[in-house]
Amino acid sequence: MTEYVVEARGLSKSFGDFHALKSVDFSLPLGRIVGVIGANGAGKTTMLNAILGLSSYEGSLNVLGHDPSKERDALMKDVCFIADVATLPKWMRVVEVLDYVEAVHPRFDRAKALDFLSRTNVPLDKKIRALSKGMTVQLHLAVVMSIDAKLLVLDEPTLGLDIIFRKQFYQSLLEEYFDEDRTVVITTHQVEEIEHILTDVMFIKDGEIVLEAEMDELTQLFIEVMVDQGKEEEALALKPISRSSTFGKSTCVYKNIDRETLAKLGETRRLGLADIFVATMTGEGQ
Amino acid sequence: MNIFKALVKREILDGKSFYIRTPAILASLTVILLVLSTLIMGEIHLDTSNGGDVKNIGEGMALLQEKEPEEVSSAVTLMYWGITMLTWFAFPFVIFFSLLGTLYEERRDRSIMFWKSMPVADWQEVLVKLFVPLVVAPLIFLGVTIATQLVISVFMGIVVLFQGGPALEMFPLGLMFTSWFILLGHYLMGMLWALPLLAWLLLVSAFAGRMPFLWAILPPFVLVAIEGIFFKSYSIAKWIAIHMGGWREAIEDRIAHNIDGPRDLFNMIISAGLTESVAITFSSVNMWAGLLIAVGFVYAAIEMRKRAI
Repeated sequence: MTEYVVEARGLSKSFGDFHALKSVDFSLPLGRIVGVIGANGAGKTTMLNAILGLSSYEGSLNVLGHDPSKERDALMKDVCFIADVATLPKWMRVVEVLDYVEAVHPRFDRAKALDFLSRTNVPLDKKIRALSKGMTVQLHLAVVMSIDAKLLVLDEPTLGLDIIFRKQFYQSLLEEYFDEDRTVVITTHQVEEIEHILTDVMFIKDGEIVLEAEMDELTQLFIEVMVDQGKEEEALALKPISRSSTFGKSTCVYKNIDRETLAKLGETRRLGLADIFVATMTGEGQ
Repeated sequence: MNIFKALVKREILDGKSFYIRTPAILASLTVILLVLSTLIMGEIHLDTSNGGDVKNIGEGMALLQEKEPEEVSSAVTLMYWGITMLTWFAFPFVIFFSLLGTLYEERRDRSIMFWKSMPVADWQEVLVKLFVPLVVAPLIFLGVTIATQLVISVFMGIVVLFQGGPALEMFPLGLMFTSWFILLGHYLMGMLWALPLLAWLLLVSAFAGRMPFLWAILPPFVLVAIEGIFFKSYSIAKWIAIHMGGWREAIEDRIAHNIDGPRDLFNMIISAGLTESVAITFSSVNMWAGLLIAVGFVYAAIEMRKRAI
């Protein structure tokens, strides 16, 4: 039986007349890395805030057996998150942050955090105010990755960091943190950088989940064909979800049509997650 | 318990300049001023009413000991309190601004998202943010005062010794000890009365989007003005004044006014007042009603904290 970390039924949230989440249903199983992808204002953060017990909601939501809106403090023993902006208290010293987390969090492993930090240039005796943006994020990630949680939620975790650090971070997330007993939920705009580590994706648009699938499944679902000359009509007859032409050749994207059929039309290739997202969001992919 | 300690420690670290630097600087200033003035003045000439000519503190002490020995320790203790009062002038400001800033700043600098990612309940956070300014801060101030008074007494003891006065009289430790505890008692009574006002500051700090200072001051002011203009009465202003310390008026009627010398003064200010204070405080419906309002404000602050992101 699959164990679920999050189960939502009819989850809704409105701000006045604006419906940020429109009665969505979803389940996140244990042992996955789920990418939540959507445009700004699509409802990603609203959904994550509900899961984390940071805001009220309508509908039913169960996170690791807790009702997050009522039991945020109990939930935070098993759930960790980094919000989308720098949130570490600027007046604290690095070592004071470690002291604090060690005192309040039963699942925090200080030695592990120090090990992560020893691989960075973060100075332990400095105030967070004095750290660079990159160092602040490194510290926060070191803290979070040293907490033995079942669910880790990262909202744009690498925003403002350089490419080398971003690569390193996803690498260590995969190698040193993730295992079958944990679920990681990530939102980011840099889809290309996470697509190789994701096991599942969820596309959100205007407060609704427009697609929820496993990565393997998804990349087989969408196929792009460089249509050979003379086969355009045949290609159109199969109803591509999007069409474009490059170097005088038509390129068509198909959803849910088997590869062998498409291979007769021309050269096929898998679509990247970013392209799948765009194809889905432009409406034709649904 | 571990969480409570960690939260208290965090609050003190956050308010280090309020809770530690402020009293430490003022106390150091007090000691420096005292030492300098003693060194510069060196000799003072006072014509006492008894006709004797007193040249310095040592001689003054000797004279006092000779004429009215039973007044000496009270006089010395009162003098130490008088000197260390400078530190306490900052105290109301420390309480006011810590309460007003505590739940506001964490929202402004977004650190609330970090605090909320820890397994600490909102009620624990809010209660600690009330507890630290109200209980820990005065204890730190008192600690600094005690240290300062001890330093001053050693200094005065040496001065008086060199001036040939009764140096041992500069250490009325028993009375000083009593005064520390009794003043703490006075503080606790005052705090119980002021709790609705203090809890209001905490609530403002929890909801104000910006300008918490105006939010703290303006609504009560407007209420007082409306009552004054339309009803020609001032019950709200009076209620606030009573809770800010006006309740002590009732004590003054009860205690003796024929003060004759430092000992009576000491008794009036420090010891006799306390039993009366406690009696008046706990028998006052007004005080209990205020506490109820305070509980409401704190509850509202906790609910605001739960929703804040």
